Amino acid sequence: MEVNNVVKPNLQIRAFYLFFIIVNIQTGLGILGAPRHIFQEAKQDGWMSVLICGVLMHLVVFAMLFILKKYESADLLGIQVDIFGTWIGKLLGTLYLVYIFATLLSSLINYIQIVQVFIYPQMPSWMLGSLLVILIVYTVSGGVRTAVGIAFVFFFLSFWLFFFLYKTVGYMELTSFRPILEASPRDLLLGSYQAGYSFIGIEILFFLYPFIEDKKKVALPAHLGVAMTTFLVLVVMIISIGYFSPTALEHMLWPVLTLFKVVEYPIIERFDLIVVTQWAMVIFPNFILFSWIITYGMKRLYGFTQRKTLLVVASLLLIGITFIKKQLLISTLLGSVSSAGFWIAFIYPLLLLPLVLIKKKFFSKKGNSE
Amino acid sequence: MRKRPFSKDKDIKSFPTTIEQFKSILEKYLQNSTDISFTQYEVQGQKIAVFFIDYMVDKNLLDDKLLGTLLASKTDWDASSILNEVPLDGGKQHINLIELATTLLSGSVGVYVENEDQAVSFSISKLEKRPLGKAETESLVLGPQVSFTESLSTNLNVIRWRLGTHDLVTEKFIIGERGQSEVRLVYLKSLANDTDVQTMRQRLKDLVVDEVEDASVLSQYIEDNNSSLFPQYYLTELPDRLCYAVSKGRLGVLVDKSPTSIIAPSTFFSFFESTEDIYMRWNIGSFLRMLRFVAMFISFVVTPTYVACVTFHYEVIPTPLLASLGSSRAQVPFPPIIEAMLLELLIELLRESGARLPTKVGQTIGIVGGIVLGQAAVEAGLTSNVLIIVVASSSLASFTAPSYLMGSAIRVIRFPLILIAGLIGLIGVTLGLIFFFIHLIRMTSLGRPYLLPAYPVNWKDMDDSFFRLPFSLNNTRSTSFRPKDMNRYPKKKAKKKKDIDE
Repeated sequence: MEVNNVVKPNLQIRAFYLFFIIVNIQTGLGILGAPRHIFQEAKQDGWMSVLICGVLMHLVVFAMLFILKKYESADLLGIQVDIFGTWIGKLLGTLYLVYIFATLLSSLINYIQIVQVFIYPQMPSWMLGSLLVILIVYTVSGGVRTAVGIAFVFFFLSFWLFFFLYKTVGYMELTSFRPILEASPRDLLLGSYQAGYSFIGIEILFFLYPFIEDKKKVALPAHLGVAMTTFLVLVVMIISIGYFSPTALEHMLWPVLTLFKVVEYPIIERFDLIVVTQWAMVIFPNFILFSWIITYGMKRLYGFTQRKTLLVVASLLLIGITFIKKQLLISTLLGSVSSAGFWIAFIYPLLLLPLVLIKKKFFSKKGNSE
Repeated sequence: MRKRPFSKDKDIKSFPTTIEQFKSILEKYLQNSTDISFTQYEVQGQKIAVFFIDYMVDKNLLDDKLLGTLLASKTDWDASSILNEVPLDGGKQHINLIELATTLLSGSVGVYVENEDQAVSFSISKLEKRPLGKAETESLVLGPQVSFTESLSTNLNVIRWRLGTHDLVTEKFIIGERGQSEVRLVYLKSLANDTDVQTMRQRLKDLVVDEVEDASVLSQYIEDNNSSLFPQYYLTELPDRLCYAVSKGRLGVLVDKSPTSIIAPSTFFSFFESTEDIYMRWNIGSFLRMLRFVAMFISFVVTPTYVACVTFHYEVIPTPLLASLGSSRAQVPFPPIIEAMLLELLIELLRESGARLPTKVGQTIGIVGGIVLGQAAVEAGLTSNVLIIVVASSSLASFTAPSYLMGSAIRVIRFPLILIAGLIGLIGVTLGLIFFFIHLIRMTSLGRPYLLPAYPVNWKDMDDSFFRLPFSLNNTRSTSFRPKDMNRYPKKKAKKKKDIDE
């Protein structure tokens, strides 16, 4: 397998799309439940946890870009092969793709569950699931440019939802934030760990990098994207702390959706229903980008055609959606994916960085001696 | 070159021959048509045959110029002296009879002097055509009213008139195996993108069909995705619209015998532009253009949302509204989806019958059908009042699209959306919209992305698609189609302001 993956010009995308891709892939379902999880650890200081998490995220992005810039045009799969050798590298790559598949499956199941809870308790999972999977197959077979286009266009089609939170701001209680800094540093860090779940998806950088036309300009949109996500999570966190009572927030599964319940207009009541349906547009880019990573990754690792992999992934997703029904199972899946995500998405790049540096140094010394 | 259904090998000599033999071969080739006028004259002891298809030639020219010269002469005729002395242009020499006979079909007159080894033809065709008229399908309030006709030469005349520059290229193609049509590819040499021109040229050259009935048919033969509902080339009957597009670096295709022209490449948003937006002041033009986008959205979403909300999500509707909705729907025995489908169908019937009937009757039917049927349907308890408003407004909104093809596409898309809304509610509407956007993102027109300039995004071109800027700020052509020259006029000069009291 080639370490560098030089992509044809007609498949390349401009760097600034990364901003939309990163914001879109990060603000999936994680943000809906984030305030609760963070609040459980850090209480009213949760917003600090978000900020800490955001700063750490920039570090991770910095590490990722540092690794990627050491190569000409490589993705993670190529880098792993370069560092660990073909066998271990491919094994790690496969594991990574399995993790991505698990993320994809868990977010699909999670979204279907939200729809069932909020709108149709009676609807079987496979029905919505198969519709979503059909759309995924249709989009991913359009290739990377379609996937990026979806992320870009749907950002604008769904971002307006965010502005409707303005109504909740009026109901906020400033006293909820006091006393400040009650949480211990450990609690704050645990809160940051919980906040990390809404930042999963940054892995896309490792896979999309070879496709970027102007690689020198990658840093700005990537960091801006992370900053934007931090901002969104922060706003949602602050509003949740101010709006809900502590006990309510601790027991609410999706506080952000509940926030939208207060939004009401003369022509529309229960705005949260609109949000739940519209959220399909928010998370759809996640499905697409994750599926695309799997299909393209399998092509890179084993040379499978993307069409075949796509069909296999689609059928596996359908099977998963149909048979994973028990709440316990779903919770276990979500929990394990998010804790795996912490290690894989955030810690792994930081571990990979010194290895890459050592390898490159060793390699260049060897090159000089020859 | 393309294979022709009959062989017209130019090297096979049919001459010299006698007039009788000549006549019999000619008549056999043209299926013994009674329309052939074949006359034999004797001038200075030479036998001369003059033959043509009766209604295809200009009789005045024939009598005055050709016969007058031929018969009055005192010298012997041969092929070159006929070409020389007959005061007509478009003369040609033929050594092959079949080739000669083919020219008769397009309105030539043939002359053959017995035992000569060449025959001569003159093109004096008389084509029946209607005069230039007012545009009917794309009507405008402001701006030029003239529309294309079926005659290609008239259309080219109008285009040359509007774009009187040496830069204008009109490449000629002959398309069709049985019924041949002349097709012209029109573009500005110094502007149009070479790749686009090459792609279009290739598509036209490679096309093998029996005949091209109309420009709209040709556009379907050369489009990128033939399973899509959306038109991929803008079809227009307005010369000003075509010339505007050509002068911005796009390509036009004209087809003989068709009053429509094709603009390529076209983007999704260009189907909502009217030339009127440019004739209006920029701010009003912008308003109208945005109005059309809003109208498209209404047309798409309103009926499905109504069906979804009334079927599944009562809680979305506020209580006072729900009360009036409920009382309006109280008599209706059907579920909302059947009710909506019924009304949508009714509106489509009205539209279709209005389009098929003669103008005067069509209007009456529209009014009678709309008011009487609608009122009666409500009173009979078949539909609710609210739904009539919803359906009528969404249908009205679909007519705001300047392109008839796009308007039809929007109306058709509503039906699956209503269906899915009736089956699984609002989430179905969202999934339908998602599908719609994916589809648009995947589509191309002449190899260029269909959703330009929204994706791939082109910030500079937003002003030409979603709104209009005043001319002082809009001094470049849209980059989406990669014209060779970007600047329309110098920016400095456009922005220059006079001092007070200068």
